[in-house]
Parts: sequence; C-alpha cells; structure tokens
Amino acid sequence: MVMGFTAASRLLACWLCCVLALFSADARSEWGFDASGGFAYDDNLSNAFEADERKGDTAAVIDLTGGYRQQLGTSTALALSLIGSSQSYLHYTGLSNIGLGARALLRTKFGLGAEAPWLALSAQAVYHNYHDDNLDGWSYEAGATLGKRFGERLTVSGSVRYDAYVANSTPPVLVPGLSGSPYDVYGWNLGVQARFLATDADLVSVSYTWRTGTVTSVTEPDLEVLEYSDRVARTDIFGSPEIAYRINANTQTIGIAWSHTLGEHTAFNVAYAYRRSQADSELGAYYANVISVTFSYSY
Amino acid sequence: MIAPSAACIAMLVCLTLPAGALAAKLSANVHGTDGKPLPNAVVVAVPEDGRLPPLSKTVEVVDQIDKEFVPYVKPVRAGSYLKFPNKDNIRHHVYSFSPPKRFELPLYSGTPTEPVLFDKPGIVKLGCNIHDWMLGYVYVAETPYFGKSAGEGRVELDQLPPGRYQVRVWHPRMQGPEDATVQRVELRDDAPTRVEWTLKLNPEYRPPRTRLPGEPGYR
Repeated sequence: MVMGFTAASRLLACWLCCVLALFSADARSEWGFDASGGFAYDDNLSNAFEADERKGDTAAVIDLTGGYRQQLGTSTALALSLIGSSQSYLHYTGLSNIGLGARALLRTKFGLGAEAPWLALSAQAVYHNYHDDNLDGWSYEAGATLGKRFGERLTVSGSVRYDAYVANSTPPVLVPGLSGSPYDVYGWNLGVQARFLATDADLVSVSYTWRTGTVTSVTEPDLEVLEYSDRVARTDIFGSPEIAYRINANTQTIGIAWSHTLGEHTAFNVAYAYRRSQADSELGAYYANVISVTFSYSY
Repeated sequence: MIAPSAACIAMLVCLTLPAGALAAKLSANVHGTDGKPLPNAVVVAVPEDGRLPPLSKTVEVVDQIDKEFVPYVKPVRAGSYLKFPNKDNIRHHVYSFSPPKRFELPLYSGTPTEPVLFDKPGIVKLGCNIHDWMLGYVYVAETPYFGKSAGEGRVELDQLPPGRYQVRVWHPRMQGPEDATVQRVELRDDAPTRVEWTLKLNPEYRPPRTRLPGEPGYR
C-alpha cells in the first residue's frame, strides 16, 4: 500500500515536472484551478441485489484539479492537470480514500463563437489509497465528449468513455478458478447530457449514461451470485465478513442536477442520480440512489 | 457712418461668446421596474435638425481584464476606432458576428497594432472564442451626444447645442426595441432638461465560468 502510493507520488511528480517544463516557458499558457467540496450520499454502496444487504452512507467529498492550459492554435487547446480527491465516509470508513492523479484534456472547437460545436478528448489516471492492500489501486479513464450550445440557454453533449480500476494486489484464492481481484473492474460508457440555463444564475442539467462492463457486488455468501461471478474474495470493507463478487452488468444512470451561480467563480450544486444495474445473467438487477450537495470554485 | 443695428450687435455678441455659454444640458435617469438604478445604460440624443459636429478621428479602448471585457458596455460615435488590448497574461480571441461590425482578432496577447473601425451605427456584441462566458457590447451611436450610466443610473449630457432632440436609451438586457424609448425634448440653455426611463429587463444568459462537477470544463 505504502509502496504503491509512493510510486504513484513519484510518477505524479514526474508528470508535474513535465507540465512545468512544457508550459512555464510560455507566459501565455493559462494556469487554472478547480475545487469542489461537499457531501454525497449513496444508498447502495455495496451494489447489493437484496434489499436487506444494501448499505448506505454519506461521504464528505473533495475534488481538486489544477494545472496549465495551452492554446495550441485558434481552436485547439491542451490542458494538463493534477487531480486530488478525497472521500471520507461517516460510517463505512473502509471505503474512505484519497486519490492523486493526472489528467490530459485536448479540446477543439469547430468554428468561431460560443455556439460552435466542440470536442474534448480526455485521459486520466488516479491512484486511490484506501489503506487496504486489496482495494488500493489505479483508476483509469479515457473518453471523448462532443458538445454544442444551442442559443443562449441550452447546451447538449454526448460522450463515450472507457473506465477501468486495477487493484494493487490480488486477494487469497477463495474459490479455485475464480482467482484475481474482484475490484478490478472495467466498462464502456455512453452518455448524453443537456444543460439548460433556467435563469441567469441557475443551470439545470439532465443526463443519461449507459455502461456495459463489470461491477463489484458485496454481499453475504450467495451461491446464486457466485454462479455468475468470475472473481470472488473475502472482504470486511463494510465491517463484517462478506464476499466481494465481480459480475458482468449493464448499468443505466439517470441524473438531474441544479447549479446556482454564487459569483463569478463560485457555484452551489445539488445533484441526484438513479443507478440501475442489470446483471448479464438471471441474477436480476440492483439499484442505487445518489444525492450530492457541493460547492465548486474555479479560478 | 451707419450705426450698427441692435440685431447686428446681438449677433456679434453671440459669436464672441464661449461655446459653453450657449450649451444646453440633458439629465437622464434610468432605472429598472424594481426602482433600482441601472448602470450600463446608454442615453443618446439626436438633434432633429440633423446638424452634427464633424467627426474627429478618435481611438477608444475596450480592455480584457481577468477574462472579462472592460468596460462591459462601450458607447462610441460611428466612425470611431477601437483597440482591444489584452491585459491578461494569457491569449484572447475577440470576435463579433453583429451586422454593424463583423470582425475577428485571432489569438493574441498584448495589443493588436491595428485598431478596428466602427463605422455603422448599431449594437456590436463582443465575445471571446476561448472564454465563452466573456461578453461585452460596443454601442455605435450616429451622434456625438451620448453617455453611459454608472451605478446611480444617471447620465448627464452637457455642452449640447440648444434645440429640439430625440433622446432614447439602450441597455444590454432591456426588453423591447430601443426605438420604443424615444422621447422628443427641447433643450434650452437656461435650465437642464430632465428625462427618465423605466426599463423592463431580460435575464442575461452566459455560460457558467465555474466548472461544474462531472463536466470536462474548458480546461
């Protein structure tokens, strides 16, 4: 765990040096900083199929992004940022983690003006430290978002994204033939989002995401779930001995969010998401409700 | 020898008086329907006799500071030149699609060498292609008699030749056409003429400057 985090720190230090070397020589590059903090509640952190095994909790969340943005031409810019994140759960402290990573974003506009369509290509890697060898690991994301503003009030975007989590270590084999970390998950995401300026200070957004890939479900030992799992391991992440199963599932998420601008640089955000995962088998589906309240600041 | 008539004497006196002595003054107040004074309102006075002083070449300035246009509203007379110095230490890309003046100043830092000519009256909406929230306006007036309200919503136009005028007001967020605000007034040199407008306002929709959770943002 410590070794992994140290390695991540070194890698990120190298990344930071690259960013500084690339951009500090050019005074026209733009330094930027985004921060958000607040609380998020998820009523099914365990991704449990059975109602009595659902575990909900609230986390204090902080996300920080800072870096340089370099305009490569009249319509294309490259941004390299460092990412810091923290999730501190009130009850299930085993899920609390801090993350440190980096992101690259290449954004291009097809034309002139605020209504010109744009394309953003992004890739990021974040190391998460849970203080648990089985959970610590890297999350990776890469994707593309295509967006366009229609008039003064409406912006619509669509995205495709690949996500993966790779845990540092493999737990002891529990079931022969099902070895490997159940926390190693991956998936493809397709999403659409519409943002509407309801007033000059209030932005309402709705989104839909479809994900196909693997998920981790933590339950009491369950032979039915085991039958459709390709990796299993013991875990006490929720405070009592349970089993983490990796299964294939298609997840649909519907979200609605409201953001109220408090000033040039600050906004207050409330978001709700309903997530439903349908297993690729006869296991059925589990669902979750996620609510978050955050303040965000951009400089 | 012929003695000068009283009319001739009066004419000579008029010609030798300083220009200000014959100047009239217009005092305008602009506020919203909530009674609050409106800054950034442009008040324009057009003489009905059509007589305007000749245009002298002027170069005005609209800055870019902290990723905003400063001032937010800039009134100029038609035929004026405008410079757009970039006071930020990053590059901006200023443009306008407005019919009175379509132009583009591609990615630049510092001050572009050539100022931009605004020769057609009308409203020119400014934007930056890098920072979509940046918004500004150039009001190009057909007359030199104009002013912009500050925080107290007041515009004082003095040194106007006495006579009949059509006065009007424009604000970036006003509802309805500018022509609907026209008032006909007679300006005299003995006392200021007062006009007042109450404007209904639209919201101003700008892309948020703050990066929202879950969005790629512009960086």
